[in-house]
Amino acid sequence: MGGEKGPIIVCRCNDVTLDNIVGAIDQGIDDFELLRKYLKIGFGPCQGRSCLIIAARIFAKKTGRRIEEVLRNYQFRPPLVPVSVEVLVAGAEE
Amino acid sequence: MRRAVIIGAGISGLFIAYELVKRGVKDVVLIDEKYPGSGGSLRNVGCFRASFTSPEHVVLMKKSIELWLKLREELNLELKQSGYLWVARKPETLELFERLSAFHNQYGVPTRVLSPEEAAEVQPGLNTKIVAGALYDPLAGKMPILENYTKLYLKLKSLGAKFIYPVKAVKLEVSESRVKSVATSTGAIGGDVFVVAAGGRGTRELLASVGVDVPIVDETRHPVLTEPYQEIVKPALLIDWDTPGAPYVTQTFHGSIIFARNIKDNPEMPLNSYKADAIGKTIKPMIELLPSLRYVRILRYWIGYYETTPDHHPVYGPVPPLENLYVAAGFSGHGMMMGPITGVLTAEWILDGKPSIKLAENLVIERFKLGRLIKEVAIVG
Repeated sequence: MGGEKGPIIVCRCNDVTLDNIVGAIDQGIDDFELLRKYLKIGFGPCQGRSCLIIAARIFAKKTGRRIEEVLRNYQFRPPLVPVSVEVLVAGAEE
Repeated sequence: MRRAVIIGAGISGLFIAYELVKRGVKDVVLIDEKYPGSGGSLRNVGCFRASFTSPEHVVLMKKSIELWLKLREELNLELKQSGYLWVARKPETLELFERLSAFHNQYGVPTRVLSPEEAAEVQPGLNTKIVAGALYDPLAGKMPILENYTKLYLKLKSLGAKFIYPVKAVKLEVSESRVKSVATSTGAIGGDVFVVAAGGRGTRELLASVGVDVPIVDETRHPVLTEPYQEIVKPALLIDWDTPGAPYVTQTFHGSIIFARNIKDNPEMPLNSYKADAIGKTIKPMIELLPSLRYVRILRYWIGYYETTPDHHPVYGPVPPLENLYVAAGFSGHGMMMGPITGVLTAEWILDGKPSIKLAENLVIERFKLGRLIKEVAIVG
């Protein structure tokens, strides 16, 4: 998939394409968390805010599962936006 | 043997399955409570070393590194032997480093003690004003765990291993000193040989169901990860030996820097019980050692467990009095690096009755009851 305009990007932080996702599922990755980790979908600075739902829908459609089931093991991880180390260290006490 | 059932589809379970399949076992089933790799296998920092402080760990880990290097070709994995650098702040620590190095060298692990200037050649930008010296292990390294785990998973599936998940193993069902089946949340799964290769609590509870005690506690850790950068951390792992909780830093193949430290915490905290102060505490000592790290930005942090035994060594081998039950658990933070040797040894116990490396017999479950614990002084990474 892709076409004349080039590859279809799903995860913009890490340049994961629709082809990457479909290819990984075809190779035998049958769990969305494993797929996400293998391809690093939602691992970039946006933390999945733009790509997660799109990727989950592609996975749900391709594997015939409900989206709630696909996302059952997904966890947001803090902090939700990138934070400078200096800010975090300033408040740290031994 | 017709069917082997492995409880826990983490890196240990996968390598045990891989060895069994390679040695001709046709029917291998792995079950997992959440999804393959959902425990420590996809939560660790992916570093490996043989520079431990017990003969058992040094010998097994050195062999495991050799096996990882062979698997790199076999499974198209990635590994980088960029070394461990243990930094001492106190001059008196260097005497310990000299003793450790002599111990490692005896077993063919080429660690050496470095001056602050030599350490700064391994890690440019190291704050030599607060560094007394370092211990360097060039055999050690790092790997991208998410890719390597998944490649092994896909290989096993192509070889016919079956993965069943999400299924919770509730208890083992025994008849006449043999395990007949494992009762799960979706029914019983029968087999001829059973291997418990679950996380700490899972292994403890499952063995308790057949009256066997195994002292493993899941200690909580809080790794912190940054946005990706060009290479800043040159060794696979840079460790602050003299600060409590031995803070360390590594950089992933993708470029993210990971900080971690053993900060005192409640064991077996839920995996989503984040603590606001964990991040700052984990990072602060490393900023002192490598001041350029103060400019990086934190992307996320997660919780993982060190599935820890009283002597910080894994539990391997048969589980008496049951004739067809085996265990591989309690890696105390070293399950990823030990994966290949765990697979080889466990398959040997199952198929040959004993492991090819005699030292591994010291790690059997009876050692806790008999008080034959193994001693180690350096637990990080």
